[in-house]
Amino acid sequence: MFSRIRRSFYRTSAWRLALRSTLVFAAGCAVVFLAMYIVVARAVQERSDSWLMGESETLKQVALTTPRDGLYDRIVEEVAEQASQEVSYDGSGHPIEGNTVFFAETNGSGQPPVWVGPEESAKFLEALRRIRPAQGTPVSVRVPGWRAPFRVVAVSMKPGEGHIYLGLLDAEAAALMRRLLVRFALGWLVMVVLGFLVTLMGLRRMLRRVDAITGTAASIRSDDLSTRVPVKDQRDEVARLARTFNNMLDRISSTVNQLRTLTDSMAHDLKSPITSVRGRLEIALSLDDRSQSAELVAGALEQLDRLSDVITTSLDVAEADGGALRLRPQTVDLSELAGRVAELYGPAFADNHQIFAISADRPVVVQMDVPLCTRMLSNLMENELHYAGAGAEVRLAIGEEGNFAAIRVEDNGPGFSAELLENAGDGSPEPTRVFHRFVKGSGSQGHGLGLAFVSAVAMAHGGRASARNRSDGRGAEIVVELPLGEGKHQPQQSTQASVS
Amino acid sequence: MRLLVVEDDKTIREFLTRALAESGFGVDASALGREGEKLALEGVHDALIVDLALPDMDGLELIQRLRAQGVTAPVLILSARRSVDERVSGLERGGDDYMTKPFAVAELLARVRALLRRSTPSQSEATRLRVGDLEIDLIRREAKRGGAEIQLTQQEFALLEYLCRNAGRVVTRAMVLDHVWKMRIDTSTNIVDVHIHRLRNKVDRDTQQPLIRTIRGVGYVLKD
Repeated sequence: MFSRIRRSFYRTSAWRLALRSTLVFAAGCAVVFLAMYIVVARAVQERSDSWLMGESETLKQVALTTPRDGLYDRIVEEVAEQASQEVSYDGSGHPIEGNTVFFAETNGSGQPPVWVGPEESAKFLEALRRIRPAQGTPVSVRVPGWRAPFRVVAVSMKPGEGHIYLGLLDAEAAALMRRLLVRFALGWLVMVVLGFLVTLMGLRRMLRRVDAITGTAASIRSDDLSTRVPVKDQRDEVARLARTFNNMLDRISSTVNQLRTLTDSMAHDLKSPITSVRGRLEIALSLDDRSQSAELVAGALEQLDRLSDVITTSLDVAEADGGALRLRPQTVDLSELAGRVAELYGPAFADNHQIFAISADRPVVVQMDVPLCTRMLSNLMENELHYAGAGAEVRLAIGEEGNFAAIRVEDNGPGFSAELLENAGDGSPEPTRVFHRFVKGSGSQGHGLGLAFVSAVAMAHGGRASARNRSDGRGAEIVVELPLGEGKHQPQQSTQASVS
Repeated sequence: MRLLVVEDDKTIREFLTRALAESGFGVDASALGREGEKLALEGVHDALIVDLALPDMDGLELIQRLRAQGVTAPVLILSARRSVDERVSGLERGGDDYMTKPFAVAELLARVRALLRRSTPSQSEATRLRVGDLEIDLIRREAKRGGAEIQLTQQEFALLEYLCRNAGRVVTRAMVLDHVWKMRIDTSTNIVDVHIHRLRNKVDRDTQQPLIRTIRGVGYVLKD
């Protein structure tokens, strides 16, 4: 169990990201510390090197000026001793543990060199033989048995007279550098570990919030869309993701609720006509008179047609409201289409004792789905036929208003009731109640879908429908605006269906 | 004329068979795509009526397979799916016409006849149509009843011409809207009734024998 948890922990993005960033961080820190160490080490070395160079010059002068007699070796040794005292004691006369100085002078004559320094001179002389004395520049020389290298400066006497070697092991500096190295290493380790832990914890905290979103998404069921991701007062990317996710859930839940309402209303709206169809057919079956029964069957058929129409329109409106109505826009002259619709409806207005006029003189070119827009115009006309009342004057005008093509339908009938023009205030894209599904006037025989369809089609095209009572007193006015030229929906590459 | 109906819904298959048989067609029917394919490959059918949702095979696939095997008979697609894309893809993949359920039998018959006309070489287009004592001249755009000229508007003439071309057959409101006003709107509006009423007032006035009849719940028929 534990190993499984550990294994799964090692598979988390938090672990991987923390590991990667820590590796980069560690490498970066190591480079910086190393550079600092090198700078300090050079500065320390320069201090001992300058002492060596100064002293070696003094010793050279002493060696050159001292006569080569029996006392020569003693004098040189004395001077060297004195020089070594300088570095073996600190300013206040306390000996400095471990500081070691040696002096050697070789002469070209093959006599044993003059030696001042630790007793095991043979090891030193052996090590010195290996170096090539570069005039006046200190070099590092390792002597077997000594932990740190000596800095050694070699100075040539006159040609053929040998060399002076002055060596210094600055134990204090070496210890300082060792301490520095240890502290740097410790500091580096602490930084890396701390950095890793902070990164890991930060990432885990962030990714736990992502996990919360995953968990919420997994817990969403079709019958319960109420779960939301908890969002604190944060403004980072994860909080944005969570808010976006919650907004998406809100929208889905609103769509589902709309669909539920729709199915409920449709079920309600379908039940009575189905009952009536059933009733008519039952009676028709029991009648002997064929003409009477045919009458009933015909009535049932008509009712079925209306039912089918209600279903189709409801689905279209629902799809349009849900943004799922697929348009196949074509470039057409709206005025010409309106003219044909007017020709179709003209006689009906006359029969209804209504006066109908159309003003669509100039071509208004619009990208639109022709069958949907034809039905929309037809719905607007039907609406006038049914509700403008006998004797009303109805006017259909097609024109351009700004970037929109405007379909304006006016009448001088009774107008809309105040209730229908109310703002529904339910946050739906269409605020006016009269354009809502299943909202109908008190005298309406319809299903409250005609104007809902008008608004849905307008919105699917990136336009809108608005309704008001005319400002000059009596009558209603409905304006449908469709974008001119290219609408919200790019025209799809449609293959013209050759349907006959 | 022999037709093949491939439709899995038993009630629809049966009433289609019956309606088509009563209209004088020989009908074979199948509930399955595979069986339908076998029947169609016999090559004896003048037209096919294919439902899209078959239990063993997509109707579109069936049409495509038949076309690939050289079956050229026109195909009328039936579907409950009403999306435009479905319609277009059906027509692109070898279908010749597309009807969504629910449909009127009259319209189905009209479409089948139209498909059959399209697939057989047509006789030279008539310039005059005559039904009983009604005669219309398609070139001069004149209509006479019993020798007396009837004054008709352009729309009324187009409507009468459509009824005459389908004389003896029932046409639905949707068919009239589609063919006369070039509007494909499925609406339960009775707007067409207004036009039929006006036309009838001109054609059938002062006569004992009305030609234009309303078949309630279905549509209209012009019949001697």
